[in-house]
Amino acid sequence: MGIVIAVISGKGGVGKTTTTANLGVGIAQNGKKCVVVDFDIGQRNLDMHLGLENRVVYDMVHVMDDGVSLKQALIKSKITPNLSFLAASQTKDKSVLDSEKIKKMIEELKEDFDFVILDAPAGIESGYEHTIEFADRAIVVVNPEVSSIRDSDRAIGILDSKSQKVKEGKEVEKYLVINRIDPKMVQSGEMLSSEDILDILNIPLIGKIPEDKGIIEASNQGKPIILTKDSAAAQAYERVAKRMCGEEIPFVDVEKENGGFMSKIKGIFK
Amino acid sequence: MFSFFNKKRSAKTAKDRLTIAIMSDRESTNFPFMDELKAEIIEVVKKYIDVKGVTIQKETHDGVEALSIDVELNK
Repeated sequence: MGIVIAVISGKGGVGKTTTTANLGVGIAQNGKKCVVVDFDIGQRNLDMHLGLENRVVYDMVHVMDDGVSLKQALIKSKITPNLSFLAASQTKDKSVLDSEKIKKMIEELKEDFDFVILDAPAGIESGYEHTIEFADRAIVVVNPEVSSIRDSDRAIGILDSKSQKVKEGKEVEKYLVINRIDPKMVQSGEMLSSEDILDILNIPLIGKIPEDKGIIEASNQGKPIILTKDSAAAQAYERVAKRMCGEEIPFVDVEKENGGFMSKIKGIFK
Repeated sequence: MFSFFNKKRSAKTAKDRLTIAIMSDRESTNFPFMDELKAEIIEVVKKYIDVKGVTIQKETHDGVEALSIDVELNK
């Protein structure tokens, strides 16, 4: 029986889908059976990140409403056979989502996969609520920036009041991924540090991802950056994926990396 | 060089502003602090009598919002 992980953020554009794609690949490469599901109805994007946009025949709504089997709708990634993908519906509007049907679909996915990762839509409307409804855990993606952090706290609040697990008196474990860290700006005090963000949000950290120009290039090609082994972001995502698989991986201080000459000088005097 | 050390630390400002904004968001909307509140109530009541559990619910009656707190005692 697999676990269901919702990737949430509140604010859009912080790297939720990028994170979902990279963690999906990373977890699958760690030998776990993993399925990533795009819950962003009407704004399908995860397929592009994974380079699978041309292979989508059936989507989630076909499975829930039109009697298409999961087997028909799931797309196996060419990157690793352990990774499958289920597309969001691009045509119907998100009011089509129905709790009972989602539950049935997720239960079925849990039988076949170790990890069921749901890419939530931005915002905190019904589409978001449906994504978190049956989640066991949540990965909260933020940028070190005020609106992202504030919105994520609202998203966490809704998760803590509306998910099925919470209604049953249990807890949905939440883990923070801080994305797009600019080490130089953090060092000069112009960007919130991970300690600052942890103080404010008060949930455990699972990853710090440095800003990396390679991310755009990776999405251009439909090949998640985690496949580019020498990139700092790739290595950071790899560490998160391993932590999610239960490995104890020490945190790397990405905020102190790439500091260049000044940080080296400072380092000597520390 | 001088300007580098003299740079305004806007991260500090961001942290202070966020702390206040989020606190007020949490108060006015939902109750992510519910678990802590529960734990603290249990701690307080436990000083006097054995507690089994606490349930807190937000209720609205005739436009008036209220927290209903039920403390279940151990026998």
